[in-house]
Amino acid sequence: MRAHAHNDGHGHGALQMGHHHVSSSAMFLNVLVVLLILTVVTVGVSRIDFGPANMLIAMLIASVKASLVILFFMHVKWDTAINKIVFLSSFLFLSLLFVFTLADQATRRIDHPMHVTKAKVSKEWVYPKPAISEKH
Amino acid sequence: MSQDGHHSVVIPAPGPEFVPHTVAHHFDTPVQEFQAAKLGFWLFLATEILLFGGLFAAYFYYHDLYPETFKVGGQQLDWKLGAINTSVLLLSSWTMAMGVRSAQTSQKRKTLMFCALTVVGAAIFMVIKFFEYKAKTEHGLFVFPHMFDGYQVDTATMTGSLPWFTDVHNVMVDATGAPLPHGHLFFAIYVTMTAIHGLHVIIGAGLILWVMKGVAKGRFHAGYYLPVDLVGLYWHLVDLIWIFLFPLLYLVP
Amino acid sequence: MTTQAPVLDTNKSHSEQPKHYLNCSSGFWSWASTLDHKRIGIMYLIGTGLAFLAGGLFALLVRLHLWQPDGMLFSNDQYNQIFTLHGAFMVFLFVIPAIPGSLGNMVLPLMLGAKDVALPRLNLLSFYLWLSGAVLAALAIAMGGFDTGWTFYAPYSLYTNKAVVTIGLAIFMLGFSSIFTGLNFIVTTHKLRAPGLTWFRMPLFVWALYATSLLQVLATPVLGITILLVAFERLYNIGIFDPRLGGDPVLFEHFFWFYSHPAVYIMVLPAFGIISELVSVHSRKPLFGYKLIAFSSLAIAIISFLVWGHHMFTSGQSTYAMFAFSFLTFFVAIPTAIKEFSWVATIWKGSIALNSPMLYTLAFLIIFAIGGLTGVILGSLNVDLHLHDTYFVVAHFHYVMMGSIALAFFAGLHHWWPKMFGVMYNETLAKIACLVIFVGFNATFIPQFIMGSQGMPRRYATYVPEFQPYHSASTMGAMVLGSGVALMVFYLVASLLTGKKAMQNQWGGVTLDWHTPTPPPLENFAHAPKVTTEVYDYSTLDLKSTQTPIG
Repeated sequence: MRAHAHNDGHGHGALQMGHHHVSSSAMFLNVLVVLLILTVVTVGVSRIDFGPANMLIAMLIASVKASLVILFFMHVKWDTAINKIVFLSSFLFLSLLFVFTLADQATRRIDHPMHVTKAKVSKEWVYPKPAISEKH
Repeated sequence: MSQDGHHSVVIPAPGPEFVPHTVAHHFDTPVQEFQAAKLGFWLFLATEILLFGGLFAAYFYYHDLYPETFKVGGQQLDWKLGAINTSVLLLSSWTMAMGVRSAQTSQKRKTLMFCALTVVGAAIFMVIKFFEYKAKTEHGLFVFPHMFDGYQVDTATMTGSLPWFTDVHNVMVDATGAPLPHGHLFFAIYVTMTAIHGLHVIIGAGLILWVMKGVAKGRFHAGYYLPVDLVGLYWHLVDLIWIFLFPLLYLVP
Repeated sequence: MTTQAPVLDTNKSHSEQPKHYLNCSSGFWSWASTLDHKRIGIMYLIGTGLAFLAGGLFALLVRLHLWQPDGMLFSNDQYNQIFTLHGAFMVFLFVIPAIPGSLGNMVLPLMLGAKDVALPRLNLLSFYLWLSGAVLAALAIAMGGFDTGWTFYAPYSLYTNKAVVTIGLAIFMLGFSSIFTGLNFIVTTHKLRAPGLTWFRMPLFVWALYATSLLQVLATPVLGITILLVAFERLYNIGIFDPRLGGDPVLFEHFFWFYSHPAVYIMVLPAFGIISELVSVHSRKPLFGYKLIAFSSLAIAIISFLVWGHHMFTSGQSTYAMFAFSFLTFFVAIPTAIKEFSWVATIWKGSIALNSPMLYTLAFLIIFAIGGLTGVILGSLNVDLHLHDTYFVVAHFHYVMMGSIALAFFAGLHHWWPKMFGVMYNETLAKIACLVIFVGFNATFIPQFIMGSQGMPRRYATYVPEFQPYHSASTMGAMVLGSGVALMVFYLVASLLTGKKAMQNQWGGVTLDWHTPTPPPLENFAHAPKVTTEVYDYSTLDLKSTQTPIG
């Protein structure tokens, strides 16, 4: 099997290597343009205050950009199943760290309220009676 | 080792400016070598994602605990510089992908050109980063020269101070002018995250330069472009991390 | 499994026999630059073995000090350093790396019918990372040591004026050693299996190492970032864990245990794999519930990521988080119990050989049952509130880490010793040592369960006189345990010098590792083996090979 170089942008490796997908230059350029547009969108959207949803929206747009980089620039769309699984699992297990840690922090305030209830404390406990001998 | 157990498999060079590649002896076919290396590298990228992910977890944790501090802190960052850096990295990801493609199609000169452009992108990124850090030092939000001076405790008044957080222009205050709780925390996390990311940018650039050396010697071509591919993946990861860092640090607040 | 033509050529004299991996090349450099997984395994064996002995020495010092209620040997500060060293050496330099690094490296490619692991240079790098971690740990001791406990909790680890950054760097190196080993094993298992060796024909040791490797790759990086953040805190006060600067020490605990709980499964899963192999070979019977055991390793790996908060029940995390963690903790007992029952069912009505590997295995089955069950007790939130930080916890984890993992390691060492070195150790001494270790171990740690339940806190240099009988009993047990280990080291080393030649297939195993010559040649297999039978099919066993000495 001969391996030979092409300059027309449609190369293929020696057949003994198995088929390797080669992306077209046009496809890469398209992805870049979309990514740059999405960057502009990211900045633009951040100017609007959605309140607590700000973080979520920003992360969603970032995830879309990330998916484009992963699927196309990193070639995952044409990759083997196991590589896809490896990559996805890292995010999956990372999310466990996020979820449990943030959930702990968020629910801690429910049962340790620092300034919500005022405990009823008798004045006697706070200001104990002076000893009788003090008066004389 | 080929199936008969004696000779190593050799992938011939596709042209006179290239050299052949010998498959490692414990692999039977080039496909096996390629897939094994790729799987190994994806596993390594997974570890990088988890390493950085820890930093993101810390960011979210404290953003939840001190929302005002993080809001005002983020406003001190220059989003325009951040946006430029984002675009620079996206462009460099594109040049890197084109570089891998050129190696896949045995186009030696184009491979070198695209790799060089990627390194240029890395350099621009680091220069902008340097100016950002310089601004932080000047505003007293993270004074790099005093970074290692240690937490000073004044036992008389029982107050503490961080030499690297002087807040020269007194920006980390709330609406009433009172200091925000732990104003330094935002900048500590900002510097930690961007510095570790910057370290990976430098490492990535170094790896690309190493690959360029191999390309120049004709080692990488359609029959064997694995190192270019793997270094490309590393570079895209560096870009990926920044895609999340930019909005988180610069824009959400 | 098909049998491999033995490389032994009876027409040649002994000195002309084909070389094997130990004598095919000689000299320091041939070992220091080796890419052979078997030689790397030997280097790990020596390194982690020495770390085990050092850690054991620290343990004996701890136990001696606690002979008297007001401490016999050290000041309180020194005691803190000694138990920290014991824990750190054992956990990071021995228990985590030993089985995958030594037995895993040695046996995994053989069991898969491969010539080596997928990434041999990365394998050598893993070993050197381990070595650099060991050197840095020694350096940290020379620089003043560290007294934070092996768990180096914030905020104390941020303030103590000891070599925390140095030992942190050591652990960082060891972490990457672990990650790269796991990475290598995953790729090897996916890509280098011999023709015909499907996933469900793989030996269970491979399944166990695979599950371990998943944990190594996914969990260890979080330890890495935790160490980096502690180092940054000490170097430039970021305030991420320091309460003076707005940080939350409980966040440290979340980060730390996110790794360290899966880490205990990194430690124990390979041990389970060894036991699976040994119960089958030494009962000459296929594993009961092969698929169940295989899947249970994966189940344990996944569940282990969901339970880390059970180390933090008294830390101040939210009650709701604690409910969740305690509830989820119970689930990990299910796949673990499946294994224990399957092993016993395998032995039942098997042709049991009560040789030394099997004795260590039987000891494991008893000790691990206790260790595992006490883990479930500690997983119960309400009980743990009283038992946390007492000797009950200490006894539980020593039952699983020393009594189970170390014992499984010894079992595997004895089982594969003839394959690795071509010699046999003194079987009588081995049986004696096993008995001494078993008795000594239980004598050391049963008193600890009792005094823990009565409130004796852990990591205390002194204690109230009421606990002295328990401490004394425990110390005496430790001396017995130590002598058993010393005896074991003695006869193993002696076997390398004067041991009898091993049989070609010492125990009658049928997995591919027993089809190579003994010891294996450099390339493991002259021709890629083709697998046509199920994995524990003892009808394929060539009994002659169990009675024919090598060479």
